[in-house]
Amino acid sequence: MSANTSRLKRFGALLGQSLLFLVTSLSTLTVFFIFYFIARDAVPFFKLEGFREFFTSSSWYPTGHPAEFGARAIFFGTGIVTLGAVVVAVPLGVSAAVCLSDVLPFNVRQVVKPVIEILAAIPSVAYGFFALVVFAPLLQNKGGAVLAIGAWLILAPVLALLVVVVSDLTADRFSDLMRHKVRWILILLLGGAALAGMIALGRHLNSIEIISGANALNVAVILGIMALPTVVSVSEDALQATGRELREGSYALGATRAETILKTVIPASISGILAAVILGIMRAIGETMVVWMASGNAARIPEPWYNMLEPVRTLTATIAGDMGEADHVTGSARFHVLFAMALCLLAFSFIMNLVSEGIVRHSRKKLGK
Amino acid sequence: MRLETRRLLDRAFSGLGVIAIGVMALALIVILTPIIVKGSGAFVFRSTVEHRKVMFDQWDRGNPQRIEADKAAAAEARQPVYDMLSAFDAELKAMPRKERSLYKKPLRELEKALAELLGPVPGEHTPVLIRQQYGATRWDRAKIKLDELLYTEDWDYSNPDALGVLVKTPRVEQFRGTALEPLFAYIKENISAMMRPRWTFYWQFLFDTSKDSHIFGGIGPEVLGTIYLTLGAMIFAIPMGVIAAIYLCEYSREGRVVSFLRICISTLAGVPSIVFGLFGLAFFLNTIHISNSKSVLAGSLTLSLLILPTVIRASEEAILAVPHSYKEAALSLGSGRWHTVMTVILPAALPGILTGTVISMGRAAGETAPIIFTAAVSVGRPLMPLEALSQPTPALPWNIYNLSTEHEAVDEIRHVQFGMVFTLVALVLLLNLFAIVMRARISKKLRG
Amino acid sequence: MKKAVMSAALMTAVAFTGVAEDKIVIDGSTTVGPIAKAFAEYFMAAHPGVNITVSESGSGNGAKSLINGVCDIADMSRPMKNSEFKAAIDNGIQPVAHAVALDGLPILVHPKNPVQELTIEQIRSIYTGVITNWKEVGGPDMEIVVITRDTNSGTYETFEGLVMNKQKITEKAEYVGSNGAVRQRVQSTPAAIGYAGLGFVDKTVKALRVNGIYPSAATVRTGEYPIARPLFMYTNGYPELGSAVYQFVTLYLSEDGQEIIDEIGFIPVTSY
Repeated sequence: MSANTSRLKRFGALLGQSLLFLVTSLSTLTVFFIFYFIARDAVPFFKLEGFREFFTSSSWYPTGHPAEFGARAIFFGTGIVTLGAVVVAVPLGVSAAVCLSDVLPFNVRQVVKPVIEILAAIPSVAYGFFALVVFAPLLQNKGGAVLAIGAWLILAPVLALLVVVVSDLTADRFSDLMRHKVRWILILLLGGAALAGMIALGRHLNSIEIISGANALNVAVILGIMALPTVVSVSEDALQATGRELREGSYALGATRAETILKTVIPASISGILAAVILGIMRAIGETMVVWMASGNAARIPEPWYNMLEPVRTLTATIAGDMGEADHVTGSARFHVLFAMALCLLAFSFIMNLVSEGIVRHSRKKLGK
Repeated sequence: MRLETRRLLDRAFSGLGVIAIGVMALALIVILTPIIVKGSGAFVFRSTVEHRKVMFDQWDRGNPQRIEADKAAAAEARQPVYDMLSAFDAELKAMPRKERSLYKKPLRELEKALAELLGPVPGEHTPVLIRQQYGATRWDRAKIKLDELLYTEDWDYSNPDALGVLVKTPRVEQFRGTALEPLFAYIKENISAMMRPRWTFYWQFLFDTSKDSHIFGGIGPEVLGTIYLTLGAMIFAIPMGVIAAIYLCEYSREGRVVSFLRICISTLAGVPSIVFGLFGLAFFLNTIHISNSKSVLAGSLTLSLLILPTVIRASEEAILAVPHSYKEAALSLGSGRWHTVMTVILPAALPGILTGTVISMGRAAGETAPIIFTAAVSVGRPLMPLEALSQPTPALPWNIYNLSTEHEAVDEIRHVQFGMVFTLVALVLLLNLFAIVMRARISKKLRG
Repeated sequence: MKKAVMSAALMTAVAFTGVAEDKIVIDGSTTVGPIAKAFAEYFMAAHPGVNITVSESGSGNGAKSLINGVCDIADMSRPMKNSEFKAAIDNGIQPVAHAVALDGLPILVHPKNPVQELTIEQIRSIYTGVITNWKEVGGPDMEIVVITRDTNSGTYETFEGLVMNKQKITEKAEYVGSNGAVRQRVQSTPAAIGYAGLGFVDKTVKALRVNGIYPSAATVRTGEYPIARPLFMYTNGYPELGSAVYQFVTLYLSEDGQEIIDEIGFIPVTSY
C-alpha cells in the first residue's frame, strides 16, 4: 500500500468523523436555537413592561386598557398543580419501583412492566380528554364520594399499619405476662379510634360539594398518573444500580427485607430517586394538553391557597390558549409575554436538568463508580 | 422491636409496594375502559334507517334495492304520523284565528322535535346542512330524541325565594282533543318500526372523510394527517439520531465536548412540548419560511426535534448492547472503523434502534402542543404525499381537542370524540406492542 | 429496478396531478370557526376541485396570517385593530372586511333560577363583584357563581367592551375555555351566571332578558338587544370576481349561506 492511498484514507476517515461530529452537534445544538428564538421574542416583553409586574402582581388582564400582565397567579397555578402531581406520583412511584426491583419475582415483573409502558405511551391529549369528559363530571357530580373513597384508599392501609406498630411498641414495655393482652387491647382501642376518625373524615369529605370539576385536583391527579412511569422506571434503575453486595451485607446482619431496603438500599440510591422525582416534576410542569383542557384556567390564586378544588391556570395552558388571540405582527406585549413565559419554563427545565445531572454525578463519585 | 412485629412490618412493606402497583394498574384500567368501551361505540352501534340513508346518499354504500325496501318499510310506519299532522293542519284551518294562534308555538316545537328524530318531512324543502337532512342515525340518540318528543320540560317559579322546580309533562297534553292526540302513543309504540335499528359495524369510520363538522362520517383525514406527521418526523429524526448515537458511542472520546453534548441532549429532552411548538412557529415558519403557512413539513420538523433525544438514547443503548466481541472480531480482521460500524455494528444494533424509534413514533403521533401552531387545522381534505410539503392537515390529537372543547354540538358527537381517542390510543399502543414483541425477540437472540 | 423507478415516477406524477387546482386557506377566530367550517364543507361539496383548510387559531393569528400573506381569508370575531391595519398596509396587503353574520351574547343562568331579567348595570355589578347574591337582583338567597370566557377569546373581548365599560372583572370569576364549556358550567351550577354565543342556548340553560329585551335573531338585528357584535371574514383586497375566494366570501349572501348561518346558531346579516 502506498503512502499516498493511506494518507487519502486517513483524510477520508477524518472527513467522515468531522461530518459525524457536525451532524451530532447540529442536532444537539438545537437546544441553543430554541433558547435563542424563545429569548429573542421574550426580551421585548421585559423591555416593554419590565420585570416587576410580571413576577409580583397577580392581576392578569392582557386585554385590558391598559393591559396588565401579572403572572404570579399563573406561576402559582403551575406550582400547585406540579406539587399535587408530585404528591400523587412520588410515594406511589417509589413504592412501586421498590416492589419491582426487590420484591416481585421475575415473571410477575414481566407482567407489570407493560402496565408502566402503556401508561407512559398514552398520548397526553387522551389523558386530557379523560380528565375533561370523564373525570371532571364525576368530580362535579359525585365529588364528595370520590374524595372520601380516595381518602379511604390512601389512609386505611397506612393507619392500620400505624396502629399495629404503635400498639406493638407500647406493649413491649410491659412484662411478658401482660404483653399479649395489652397488645390486643391497644390494637382494638387504637383501631377503633382510627376507624372512627376515618368514618368522620369520610362523612366530612362526602358532604363537600365540588362546584367545578375542572380544577387543580383533577389536573394534579392526572398529571401524577402521567408522571408515574417516569418516576417508576428511573428510580427502579437507581435501585437496581445499588448492586447485590449491599443487600447481601444487610441480610447477613439479620435485617429483614424491609429494613434492608429502607435503611440500606434507599439511602444508597437516594440520588437516583431524587433524579427520578426531578424528571417527574419536569414532565408535570411541561404538560400542556391536560392542564389546558381540565384545569379551569382561572388566573388567580385560590382561597385559601391550598384549596385544590378551585380552578387554576398554568404557564403552558396560557401559552397554548393565548397564542391564537395575541396580535403577532404588531409586536404587542401580549404576544411577547407568552414567549417570556416559555423562557421561564425553559430556564426552569434547564436548571432542573443540571441539578439532576449534578446529583447523579455526585453520587457516582460517592459510590466510586 | 419484637421479631414478629419486624416480620409483620416486612410483610406490610411488601404489601404497600404491591398496593402501589395495584393502584397503577387500576388507574390504567379506569382510564382505558371508558375510552375503549365508548370508543368502540363509534365503530359498532345500533344504526337506524337514517344511518343507512346517509351511507347510501353520501358514500354510495349499500345495496340499492335493500335500502329502498328499508326506506319504504320505515316510510310506511311513519306515514300515519304525517297523516295525523296533515289532519291537524286541516283542523287548524277550520279553527277561529284566536284558537289557532294558541297552537302555533306547541306545533312548531313538535315539528322541530319530530325533524330531529325522523328527519325532514318528505316532500318538503330540503335543508342545506346535512345534519338537518336526516333524523337520528344512532339508536341511542334516537331514544333520547324520542323522550324529548314525548315530554315537554317547564320550570315552575311560583316561589320566588327558592329555586324553580322542573315539571315534565307529556307533550300530548298540549294537543288534547285534536287530531294529534293519538300521535304520541303511536310513535312510542312504533318507534322500532319507524327507525329500524340494526347492529352495524362501521369500520369505514377510520377512512371516511367527515361530513358536516364530524356529525356524519369518519376520521379519515385526521388518521392520514397523523400518519404523515409521524412518518415525516421519523424521516428527519432517525438519520440525525442514529448518526449522533454512532458518533457518541464509537467515535468520540469521553471529554468536555462529549459531556457538553450529552447535557444538551438531556436538556432537549426536558424542553416542554409547548415550547417546541413556539420554536417551530418562530423558526420554521416565521424565520426560514419553510412553507407559506402551517404545513405538515413544519409540523414534522418540530416533532422530529421533540423525539430526537429519545431516538439518540435508544440508538445509543442499542449500539452499546452489541457484544464487544463482534466489534473486536471485525477490527482484528483488518476492517476499518467506519467499515466496522456500517457492516457489523449497525446491522446488529438495527432491531434495537428500530424498537426505540417505534416507541418514539408513538410519542410523535400523540403529541398535540407542537403541532397547534405548526401543522394542525380543523378542516381539510386528505392530502396527497407531495401536498404535505406545503399544506396543513387535520390530525387526531388536535381534532380531539377541537371537537371536545370548541364544537357547537359537543354533546351530540361524543361518540366521534371517543372514537378518535380510541383510534389514537390504539395506534400508539399497537406501535408499542410491536416494539415490545421485537425487544423480546432481540434479547432472546442476543442471549441465545 | 427499472420497474421500481417507473412506478415511483408514476406515483410522483399522480401525486402532482392529485394536487387540487384551487385552494383556500382560512385562519382565525374560534367563534367564526363553525361558520367557516360549515361553509367550507358546503363549498367543497359543490366544487370538488377546491381544497379548503380551516384553522381555528384565534382572531389575532388570523390577522397575522393575512398580513403575512399566508392565508386567503382571516376569520375575526372583532374588527381589525389600527395597528394591524398599519402593518398590513406596510406589507402591501389591503384588508377588506366582510361582515358575514351577527352574534348575540345571551346572559345565561340555570333554568332553576327564577330570575328572568337583568339590566346592563346589574350584569356589570355582578361581574365586577359588587353584587354577590341573587337576592340583590330579585332571586333566591344564593351566592352568585360568576363564569366568564377565557381572556384570550374574542367573546371575552366583546363582552368586556359592551358590558364592562372598562371595569375589571372580579377576581372570583371562573374562566372557561369555550362557549360549550360555559354552557356546561351553567347547566350544572344553579347559582351560576355566564355568557356564550346565541347558538349555545338550549333547553338546559336559560337566557335572560337584558334591559327588557330577550336575545333573538330579530332583536339582535334591530340592535335592540344590547350585547351583540358582527363577525368578519377579511380578505386581501376585494377578491377577484368569479374566483373561488370570491364565491366563498359571498356565500353568506346566498339563501343557502343564510340558512347555514341560521342553523348553526348565528344571525344572518340579511334575511330573505
